[in-house]
Amino acid sequence: MTTLLVAKQMLMTIYSKYEVYITPLLKFLLSLITLCLINSRLGYMDTLNRMTVVLIVALMCSFMPMNFIVLMGAVFVLLHLYTFSMECAAVIGAGFLLLFLLYLRFSPKDTVVVVLLPLCFLLRIPYVIPISMGLIGAPTSAVSVACGVIVYYMLHYVTQNATVIAAMADEETAAKFKFIIDGLIKNREMVVTIAAFAMTVIVVYLLRRLSIDYAWTIAMTAGAVVNIMVLLVGDLIFEINQPLLGVILGTIVSFLLVLVLQFFVFYVDYSRTEKVQFEDDEYYYYVKAVPKVTVAKPEKKVKQINSARSGAGRSSRPTHHS
Amino acid sequence: MLNEERVVLMTKMASYETHEGKKCLAIGSYFRSDYIGWQVLKSIISATIAFVVVFAMYIFYDFEVFMTDIYKMDLLEFAKNVLFYYLGTVGAYALVSYVVYTVRYSRASKSLRAYHMNLHRLSNMYRSEKNG
Repeated sequence: MTTLLVAKQMLMTIYSKYEVYITPLLKFLLSLITLCLINSRLGYMDTLNRMTVVLIVALMCSFMPMNFIVLMGAVFVLLHLYTFSMECAAVIGAGFLLLFLLYLRFSPKDTVVVVLLPLCFLLRIPYVIPISMGLIGAPTSAVSVACGVIVYYMLHYVTQNATVIAAMADEETAAKFKFIIDGLIKNREMVVTIAAFAMTVIVVYLLRRLSIDYAWTIAMTAGAVVNIMVLLVGDLIFEINQPLLGVILGTIVSFLLVLVLQFFVFYVDYSRTEKVQFEDDEYYYYVKAVPKVTVAKPEKKVKQINSARSGAGRSSRPTHHS
Repeated sequence: MLNEERVVLMTKMASYETHEGKKCLAIGSYFRSDYIGWQVLKSIISATIAFVVVFAMYIFYDFEVFMTDIYKMDLLEFAKNVLFYYLGTVGAYALVSYVVYTVRYSRASKSLRAYHMNLHRLSNMYRSEKNG
């Protein structure tokens, strides 16, 4: 454990020292992965598929605010869809516009969730996002998570039914519209996932704020259980046939990943908890203070092997005291 | 001579100004009613655009049925219904944003009050240094 703590300390030192370089690099990697995944899934427009275009846009993203990645992702998706089918681009564009106008305008901080959640869906560990947002966010993060789920399922539906949409004749504009909108609105899996993730965020948030020992671990565990339960119950009621094993394994892996997050953000020693009471003119204070676990970074000791000679050399030098 | 206490205070204040204070300072430059009014107005515009988008999708969803029905339906009644839904949507959204921005304004002014107190402390330090 001590080695891990030392590693954490060192990582934090390195990050704070080279923050100017590391933050743009991380943004660059995130935007690169996002754009490459969009291209691999949708890739209908040849111009955008070129690596040079992706690299240039990713470079731009690395120096811009985080929300620029979201904007660029949306632009890429819409341009690809426009090349594929105008109706698709119109419906998905309208969906993006509604999400932006009605919610994301309020909470620009959480916008990155909208990018991260579809990425985690592709990695089959989307459950990591609601649990960690419950830990580090606020109850309103539930809405951001819901927005991310909607974005994923919109794109998932289009990629799944690409052949059907492409097979429809060009004149059948109205039928295409109906097909796409039907698929988005009547997607029960999406509704169940939104319900499960929103409940997970709220349960995790409420439990981790409790003044009990191991609040974070309890919150994470409860969140994972709630997530699995709601997904399973929703699965039974709406007969979605989600792979049960996938949900459970995904949740376990997500739980482990959130443990790593907890180690970095909230690693405290409950055995040294102090409870104090005091008062001033206006209030009584019941304070519970839990110390963070830290270790001193081991200092490098330079042993001088040729100390005798250098010591002799130093002593032979004349010293001046003023 | 460097005054350590003053340097610490100034560093803290500069960090506040560049991070969470940036937004608070922007909000604090408005009067309460101006800030909330402007944000609610923006929300009303957003809600109007959102409503237009949803309405357009609704029409396009069953375009052929709608075009055949349009000659049969009572247009005045339809317009009334649409207006009713529009006002409902915009009203609800404006109310939510009024609450959100009222809370944000009061939070920002609370945090700015602490910042101004620090400013006052700083100017007092300068004055006492000058006199001393």
